[in-house]
Amino acid sequence: MSYRFQFRDVFAQKEAIADGVLVTLQLSAVTIGLGFLIGILVAVSLVYGERWLRSLARVYVEVIRNTPLIVQLFLIFFGLPGIGIRLDVMTASLLALTINLGAYTAEIVRAGIESVPKSQIEAGVSLGMTQPQIFRHVVLIPALKNVYPALSSQFVLLMLATSVVSQISAADLFHAGSIIQSRTFRDFEVYTVISVLYLCLTLLMRGGFGLLYHLVFRRK
Amino acid sequence: MSFIELKSVVKRYGSNTVLQDVDLNVEKGEIIAIIGRSGSGKSTLLRCINGLEPVQGGEVWVDRVAVHDPSANLRELRARVGIVFQSFNLFPHLTVQRNITLGPMIVKGLPAAEAATLALAALRKVGLEEKIGAYADELSGGQQQRVAIARSLAMSPSLMLFDEITSALDPELVGEVLLVLEEMAREGMTMLLVTHEMSFARRVAHRVVFMHQGKVWEQAPAKEFFAEPKTVELKSFLSSVIH
Amino acid sequence: MIRELALVDVYFLLLALRWTIGLTLLALLGGGAVGLFVAAFGAARNPVLRGVAMVYVGTVQGIPLLGWLFIFYFGLSIVGYNLPPLVAATVGFSIYAGAFLGEIWRGALVAIPKTQWEAGLSIGLNYIEQLRHVIIPQAVRMAIAPTVGFVVQLIKNTSLAAVIGFVELTREGQLTTASTFQPFSVYLLVALMYFSLCYPLTQYSRVLERKRRVLH
Repeated sequence: MSYRFQFRDVFAQKEAIADGVLVTLQLSAVTIGLGFLIGILVAVSLVYGERWLRSLARVYVEVIRNTPLIVQLFLIFFGLPGIGIRLDVMTASLLALTINLGAYTAEIVRAGIESVPKSQIEAGVSLGMTQPQIFRHVVLIPALKNVYPALSSQFVLLMLATSVVSQISAADLFHAGSIIQSRTFRDFEVYTVISVLYLCLTLLMRGGFGLLYHLVFRRK
Repeated sequence: MSFIELKSVVKRYGSNTVLQDVDLNVEKGEIIAIIGRSGSGKSTLLRCINGLEPVQGGEVWVDRVAVHDPSANLRELRARVGIVFQSFNLFPHLTVQRNITLGPMIVKGLPAAEAATLALAALRKVGLEEKIGAYADELSGGQQQRVAIARSLAMSPSLMLFDEITSALDPELVGEVLLVLEEMAREGMTMLLVTHEMSFARRVAHRVVFMHQGKVWEQAPAKEFFAEPKTVELKSFLSSVIH
Repeated sequence: MIRELALVDVYFLLLALRWTIGLTLLALLGGGAVGLFVAAFGAARNPVLRGVAMVYVGTVQGIPLLGWLFIFYFGLSIVGYNLPPLVAATVGFSIYAGAFLGEIWRGALVAIPKTQWEAGLSIGLNYIEQLRHVIIPQAVRMAIAPTVGFVVQLIKNTSLAAVIGFVELTREGQLTTASTFQPFSVYLLVALMYFSLCYPLTQYSRVLERKRRVLH
């Protein structure tokens, strides 16, 4: 068996790769922003909501967390047109990813909220604060600080999971692989390079989140 | 009506009755020390007064507000009743200043500048102005407790509740906290203290209440309470406490 | 030729579900074996071993699962012959699961306080005996809840094997959609089947987690 690894051909496709990286980053950033907000809203519903709201939120979280992302994506992109909702590739990708991340974030934030000691809440109550005031001033920041590692890990996982949108031909980094593959026929090299790029993105994101922690939660 | 009136108060945790038929009256300006063994219901009694614990029977009246009524909105009352906890309960993510200004700004709607002035005045009272920008974990236990007191004082309360506030402190830090309490007493604040500090109680309190098995077992003016205990249980309790 | 979605399609989907379960079990076996090494290395006193484990976990967790699947799918066909997608999938999942399981198990090992080791030492046990009689039983109890939680992840992850052509539940869903043109119903069914597999396990891991909290 003789096979010569030809990475140079892959490197020659810099532009396709760069475009892919950009799309992956954009997709991740928007999803994280929206998913984080949805997660907080759903977590608040789970902890403080009326019974019906809690049940609704619980159903959302359980359905999403117990079904695969790719199936959710296919349902949205391929399935919805069947009942009259036709979305373009990017919108479908964003929708599926955001709905997915929202559920995972909700569970993490919920755990964070419940990790704030009851004594803190009592101190707020004793000062005469309302529940929303207590949530905003006493609970939220310590809750997020407590689950920051879990939250940032989840976001990094999300960035990696965006690779699944390549399966509906969204032009992300992983999809760039199939483009380059069809041009160079270097299957193995292509996906090795792309995987290493994802690894670099992971390291950058982890570093970024570490820095963010120091900026937000550490005192001057 | 007295400033605080407890009538036949009953408090249960599940099948465990912690307060049985408690009667207690407190007038404005009085300083009451509440002592007793652990499990006698003293902390629970305090927490029933500002509504942190609901009662299953009887009535709790504070400044004419029916605290025992489940439908009562206690927010307004709580803004006038300060409570200091054994474990300080400072907000760890906020500076000392922010800890103290939070209540006045959020609950009373005071503008930031006014709240800041109040905070500084409260800190001065407890002798910690220089720590205004610090965070809780940069302070000693005694300092944290004094900040907790300042946090309550900034709300200009008409009643202060103290739940064993020196029990979690190293002995050498207790003194600085008691000094603050003595100053408050001199200024005429109505105070209820659950405490183990017998000499402090004898010196500063007007009246001392002995809780035993969920009841007000004996109460008397401070000097008389310690000098001439009437019930067997109080005698045995006092003799077991070194003072 | 388009045909109506019929009971026979449900039947085929259920058959494919067996392959989902099968691949999950294979991944657990392979990943479990790798995970044991990763955990042992990661909890070792030797910093070199710990470093190896750290690099392994960091690399595996820093690349999307799809990436690993494609690397092994194309890589193995270079090295070997034309292997069925099942082999590539098994290898890929084993590598992937090994890192995650290794981290979970390492965490459990490391969580056992030093005092337990000392207790074993002071009654005369050697390293292996300490592991066998004192440490591992406790570590297992600590690790079982997150491990069951990870099995749920694994079941969902097997859906990606569809991309390299392995016919498990998701791939069967794609095929059924192609012949019935009912993507909404088909993928809803597929989701339902995954849910019926994952949800009970999720609940079970929650029960286990509560038990674990009580013990510690």
